[in-house]
Amino acid sequence: MAEVRFDRVTKLFDSSVAAVDDLSLTVADGEFLILVGPSGCGKTTALRMVAGLEKVTSGRIAIDGRIINDVSPRDRDIAMVFQNYALYPHMTVLRNLAFGLRQRKVQAGEIDRRVREVSEMLGLDDLLGRRPAQLSGGQRQRVAMGRALVREPRAFLLDEPLSNLDAKLRVQMRAELKRLHQHLGVTTIYVTHDQVEAMTLGDRIAVLSGGKLQQLGPPQEVYDHPANVFVAGFIGSPPMNLLRATAVSGTITAGDLQLDIPGVADGEVVVGIRPEALRPAGDGLPSVPFTIDVVEPLGDEIVVHGSVAGRPAGGELEEQIPLSGSQPARATITARFDPQLRPKVGEQVPLRISPDAVHVFDPATGEALR
Amino acid sequence: MGRLRRALASDHLAGWAFVGPAVLLIGVFGILPIVWGLVLSFQKSDLIDPNTPFVGLTNYRALANDHVLRIAAGHTLVYTGVFVPVSVIGALFIAVALNRKIHLIRFYRTAVFVPVVASTIATSIMFLWLFDAQYGLANWLLGKIGVGPFGFFDSPRGALYAIIAMTVWGWVGFDVIIYLAALQGIPRDLVEAAEIDGANRWSIFRSITVPLLGPATLLLVVWSSINALQLFDEVYFVTHGGPPPYNTAVVVWWLFSLAFRFGAAGYAAAIAYVLFLAILVLTMIQFRLGNRVVHYSS
Amino acid sequence: MTTEAHADRLVWPDDAEAAERPRRRWLPFSPWHLVLFPLALIMLLPLVWMIVTSLQTQAESLRFPPVLVPGSLQLDNYPNALRSAPFGRWFLNTFIVTTVVVVSNLLLCSLAGYAFARIRFFGREATFILLLATLMVPFQVVMIPTFLIVKKLGLFDSLPALIAPNLVNAFGIFMLRQFFRTLPVELEEAARIDGASRLGVLFKIVLPLSLPALATLAVIQFMWTWNDFLWPLIAVFSQRNFTLQLGLTVFQGSHDVFWPLIMAGNVMSMIPMLLVFFAAQRYFVRGIATTGLKG
Repeated sequence: MAEVRFDRVTKLFDSSVAAVDDLSLTVADGEFLILVGPSGCGKTTALRMVAGLEKVTSGRIAIDGRIINDVSPRDRDIAMVFQNYALYPHMTVLRNLAFGLRQRKVQAGEIDRRVREVSEMLGLDDLLGRRPAQLSGGQRQRVAMGRALVREPRAFLLDEPLSNLDAKLRVQMRAELKRLHQHLGVTTIYVTHDQVEAMTLGDRIAVLSGGKLQQLGPPQEVYDHPANVFVAGFIGSPPMNLLRATAVSGTITAGDLQLDIPGVADGEVVVGIRPEALRPAGDGLPSVPFTIDVVEPLGDEIVVHGSVAGRPAGGELEEQIPLSGSQPARATITARFDPQLRPKVGEQVPLRISPDAVHVFDPATGEALR
Repeated sequence: MGRLRRALASDHLAGWAFVGPAVLLIGVFGILPIVWGLVLSFQKSDLIDPNTPFVGLTNYRALANDHVLRIAAGHTLVYTGVFVPVSVIGALFIAVALNRKIHLIRFYRTAVFVPVVASTIATSIMFLWLFDAQYGLANWLLGKIGVGPFGFFDSPRGALYAIIAMTVWGWVGFDVIIYLAALQGIPRDLVEAAEIDGANRWSIFRSITVPLLGPATLLLVVWSSINALQLFDEVYFVTHGGPPPYNTAVVVWWLFSLAFRFGAAGYAAAIAYVLFLAILVLTMIQFRLGNRVVHYSS
Repeated sequence: MTTEAHADRLVWPDDAEAAERPRRRWLPFSPWHLVLFPLALIMLLPLVWMIVTSLQTQAESLRFPPVLVPGSLQLDNYPNALRSAPFGRWFLNTFIVTTVVVVSNLLLCSLAGYAFARIRFFGREATFILLLATLMVPFQVVMIPTFLIVKKLGLFDSLPALIAPNLVNAFGIFMLRQFFRTLPVELEEAARIDGASRLGVLFKIVLPLSLPALATLAVIQFMWTWNDFLWPLIAVFSQRNFTLQLGLTVFQGSHDVFWPLIMAGNVMSMIPMLLVFFAAQRYFVRGIATTGLKG
């Protein structure tokens, strides 16, 4: 069991590209921490630095209080599950599981015990004599997990372990992983680009972008109170709707929408509203005319895409579309409707919004103002 | 239907037109000799007299009583038995050493590979001089570590060592390339996983690298054996095809001498076919044994 | 990643080890240099010693301990060697034979390889296997009958005798067929729809896309032919028809102890081959690596 701490860790490739930029966070003993973000955000690099597969350019990483920057991977007492599993193709499942223990000169009896225990836990008993080439994707994934579990390490590192599985298996394995963690309670750092995995598995999630930590916190908190525009747009599916707006004396105007939101300074802002906060019902609340474009029935709800008057704002500040100015701008909005309502394409529906559900961001820095 | 048939017919025609010249040439210079060689082995021929009477199995029976052939076969086997392990294992270690990105790595790789490009004759000349009994650099270097001097080419054993040295020198680069290509094929995350599992460099080499190089090793062992059994150029050069000392004889040298020096072409053809058979059998054995030991990872 | 694609990327294989790992350094450079540098020296030693000797005087060469650095650069050895034996003639012979063989192979192996790869014709599979089978048979089996054939054709002791049996090499057909099959067939189909004949498709579409494979074949065939010894030994008798390898053998034999002279001749005979090597190094490497992966 161990606490893993990143202390102002930076990783530079070719002395110019910062894959990880000044990352500081602490994974508590026994915690399941998710590193989530789009491709290239630095999450895998950060994980590999903990494993010792990449060298830290500056800053320190400590496991259990001991700084391990210069410790080789084999001496760090950590176990890793690779995205492509990295099973030894020429060894049977049994030997794959036992390999790490053999390397550490663990007693044969102890190896036997642990392998049997893990094999039973993961349902690998029938597969022990087979080679990786003879296993299905899901089975290989379990063997990769088993190989890590058998080591009884101080920390587990998982690099997108579910991304090569088909959708159904993925959902199954997610639950398995959660159950395992509850049972074993080992410190775990898990990397994924899938924000659903992040939300469902993590005790806390760390959102990264461009090598920098955007927000750290329990999933619900990150969802409810995104610290900036990036996190707001990244977490949550369908993503949060973002519009440009103008604040004047506590009133924010975005196209046809007018909201009373005190405490916001005058000027340009970005307004964020989650799809579930947009409902066609609810009297007495501010509303906007919404023209329906695309209807996606999901069974338990209907996702509706359409447009309102207003200027859109990109999910990442750097990608904001320059304003054209000639035509009245329309912004694409996504909303969630009850399945009972039967929205039709081309219909115009008034959408009501509760001011409490509105997030306000600074257009320059992306930071949340409210 | 007629159009279809015409189209198909033109394909057949085109196909044969394209392969025609090649098939003709290989037919005349490849297949015909293979068949003729077999026929020849049942005849008595001196390559000059057009009259080549059939002698049945006489040539094959004579193999058993040919004591020069026995000596030559012995040398060939000893040579193969040393050449193959030395060059293949040596190449493995060299390839591992060369499989990294450090300064001068291109120079090192080129240095290892250049000898492959030198002809057998050029190599023989270089080594004949290097191993000269009186003025050779080799004896001088050996003297520095307190060994020798040797008259390498004065004795059958010495000559064999010298030939082993020069052929290993000339071939190891080839093996290294095959191994390097195979090493590149080992996924990086396997090595990383093994490191995290606690293996040190040597352990990784032994448990991961070497087993995964199994197919390449088998290929090289088979290939090297086939080549070693056919050793000729260097041996001919050292003796200049002159009258025996049979002390450096190998099978192909003897075969050549019989056909083109002693006018016993039929008998030589028989030896050639037996050699062919021996190579086939050895190759099959190697593959059988090899496949039991080698685990193909795909 | 298919093995073919993998070999295509194999120029000089570039490193599989992770770039930076935590480790301690006792030396200012990688310890591997301590292994690789001596190794490189050993591998280059015979070549270097050959060159050094070729620049010595006769007297210097016959000294023990050997003279490591010649007192002066005896460049005379080179023209002297050229004068003591018909090297010029031998160069010419070898050059003619090699060039004709390489060009012929490029042409005939392309035609045949393409047909085997893309044209469906009667007896294709059987013929291909038959050709491949000839590769299994060692040269010693066929050399005597080939000699007789060459004699029957009246070619004995002439350059055509050296050229004829090598005009097409089954290995080249195999190699090009493998390569052609990796090209997207749609390109050829589009060309045929556009009206190109089979021959046109081969020469205008396929071959231009196959330059690396062709270069590899050319370079390997060049090496085999330039360095060939056994067949020239059998097929040619008069000195004026010798190739360099034969010439060198005779030269060495007749100039027994004139090592500097012999080495000069040796160096000169190696130069064309070395030039081709350095110009086309990656094609050599690629050729060997592909053979290995197909193996």
